[in-house]
Amino acid sequence: MTTVLAPRSSDDESVEQAVARLLAEEYGTLAGPQVVMGVVQNARRELAGSPVGALPELVERLARYRLHTSVS
Amino acid sequence: MGYVDVAGVRFTLPDGRVLLEDVSFRVGDGACAALVGENGAGKTTLLRIISGDLTPDGGSVARTGGLGVMRQFIGSVRDDTTVQRFLIDLAPPAVREAWDAVEAAELAMMEGDDEPAQMAYANALGHWGDVGGYDVEVTWDTVTVAALGVPYDGCKYRELASLSGGEQKRLALECLLRGPDQVLLLDEPDNYLDVPGKRWLEERLIESRKTVLFVSHDRELLARVADRVVTVEGGGAWVHGGDFASYPAARTARHERMAELRKRWDEEHQRLVDLVRTMQQQAKNSPDMAARYHAMQTRLAKYEAAGPPPDRPPDQHVAMRLRGGRTGVRVLVAEQLELTGLMKPFDLEVDYGDRVAVLGSNGAGKSHFLRLLAGQDVAHTGGWRLGARVVPGFFAQTHAHPEWLDRSLVDLLWHGEPGRPGVDRGRAMATLRRYGLAPQGDQLFRSLSGGQQARFQVLLLELSGATLLLLDEPTDNLDVLSAESLEEALGAFDGTVVAVTHDRWFARTFDRFLVFGAGGQVYEAPEPVFDEARVQRTR
Ligand SMILES: Nc1ncnc2c1ncn2[C@@H]1O[C@H](COP(=O)(O)OP(=O)(O)OP(=O)(O)O)[C@@H](O)[C@H]1O
Ligand SMILES: [Mg+2]
Repeated sequence: MTTVLAPRSSDDESVEQAVARLLAEEYGTLAGPQVVMGVVQNARRELAGSPVGALPELVERLARYRLHTSVS
Repeated sequence: MGYVDVAGVRFTLPDGRVLLEDVSFRVGDGACAALVGENGAGKTTLLRIISGDLTPDGGSVARTGGLGVMRQFIGSVRDDTTVQRFLIDLAPPAVREAWDAVEAAELAMMEGDDEPAQMAYANALGHWGDVGGYDVEVTWDTVTVAALGVPYDGCKYRELASLSGGEQKRLALECLLRGPDQVLLLDEPDNYLDVPGKRWLEERLIESRKTVLFVSHDRELLARVADRVVTVEGGGAWVHGGDFASYPAARTARHERMAELRKRWDEEHQRLVDLVRTMQQQAKNSPDMAARYHAMQTRLAKYEAAGPPPDRPPDQHVAMRLRGGRTGVRVLVAEQLELTGLMKPFDLEVDYGDRVAVLGSNGAGKSHFLRLLAGQDVAHTGGWRLGARVVPGFFAQTHAHPEWLDRSLVDLLWHGEPGRPGVDRGRAMATLRRYGLAPQGDQLFRSLSGGQQARFQVLLLELSGATLLLLDEPTDNLDVLSAESLEEALGAFDGTVVAVTHDRWFARTFDRFLVFGAGGQVYEAPEPVFDEARVQRTR
């Protein structure tokens, strides 16, 4: 099964991956690592309960959107 | 936290039949209760009474905690509802009203942009903020990203009808499970969900602290999630306090007990009748006996007035029959067929007698594939053709039939349609009886329950003389016994079957498995594959 009940490590993975990718984009300079980290962690918390396999992608999408609306 | 308390509810159908006689049960704080019963037993009706859509003829419903409701036909929405409207309709009443006020004020401003209109708009926005509207919009982002992969702004004007059935369900479930309502009524939430989606739903229901009353016919879901089972049957409802594993035995025991009580009542009744008769004879000769005779008569009258205990509900009978007929050996050939924007090109050959299950995640394009084979307009490149004497018969619950809605079943059968000869009333009723639909013969199609509509569509397939059955999620909505009957009918069917299904149990009765994969490739697998990831598309 690829979906349910996140083991801890993959939770953190989705956060780490999203932070790394977003920092590499303009949000690294526009918002700064502290803010990006906070937004990603929030997104991860909000998306709790989503299938683990989809988490990295979903967390990144939601965080990017939230960053986008806050800097623009 | 919340509970639902249903007490002595009685409900009469428009045609005068009593559907619910005396329904009482309670779903306590944090419980996850399954509501089961055969198609047409009154499950949806009961949920609509609890949610306040319908007013019962008697009895009462008490509940605490905000109420979130998901209806059975979500998944087959085919009107012009947008994602935005859909989410608003699922929101608590205060939010809904505030939203409608904002919309009305916006409209008024467009018509005349004067000061009162601007003031009204500002007020409406203020109220939207007061009821937590802005927080709700933030939640909607989470909900649409989780369900569709895009934030709310990117999809709010999208028509719900453009989402697959599973996506529609998923959107509603994300919204209700993440929302503030503490009591959820879910009418067949698992229909249309792909297998990973069903597993996801199982986990979410198990870990949720909300009070949930859900209808389902999926035995795997019932077994994993329900901590009690409410059964609607014979016009009443009873609660099994355990899980689904122990449910069948509990139900059998209950039925036996009912039959036993009824038998005892009948025996006692007979004894009293006999006594009265004997005493009547004796009373002719003795005034003393006459007094006793009258006392006995009163006793019998009282006994009869109290009435017999309810008998055990009758066993359900559904016997579907699908005939088919011999066709050319090669039934379907697809060469480099590509569903534009959905799947990569693939080849496929299907032979007479094959049983092909089409599997894959929600939104992969399986239904489009079936619709194409059924002769509908679906964008594609590459070629496909059907073999000699192949007559396709298409079944899809998401297939809207507006022209059926206001006609009765007997009428629809009487008139027939191209490819399906009409039948007289006698034959129509006989066929309806086999599908457990005889009492519905003169009802309008629109008033049928979800499962009754599904059964009727199988019945039309039976009459159509199709030799290639194209079935899109045929077991959704069907109660357990009807699904089994369909399986049997397919087993005996002389012809070829191609079926899209997410029903793990049903899929295992097929012999070929065509998988619509996550990467857009279509391939054949030797065994059912249930965990293909969702296709990631930029929408
Ligand atoms: N206008 C009407 N006239 C007569 N009967 C009606 C009307 N509307 C609904 N019914 C009947 O009420 C019964 C209960 O319907 P309901 O939708 O509650 O069933 P259900 O238990 O949810 O079934 P399913 O499992 O198929 O969803 C059905 O037999 C249906 O045909
Ligand atoms: Mg129903």
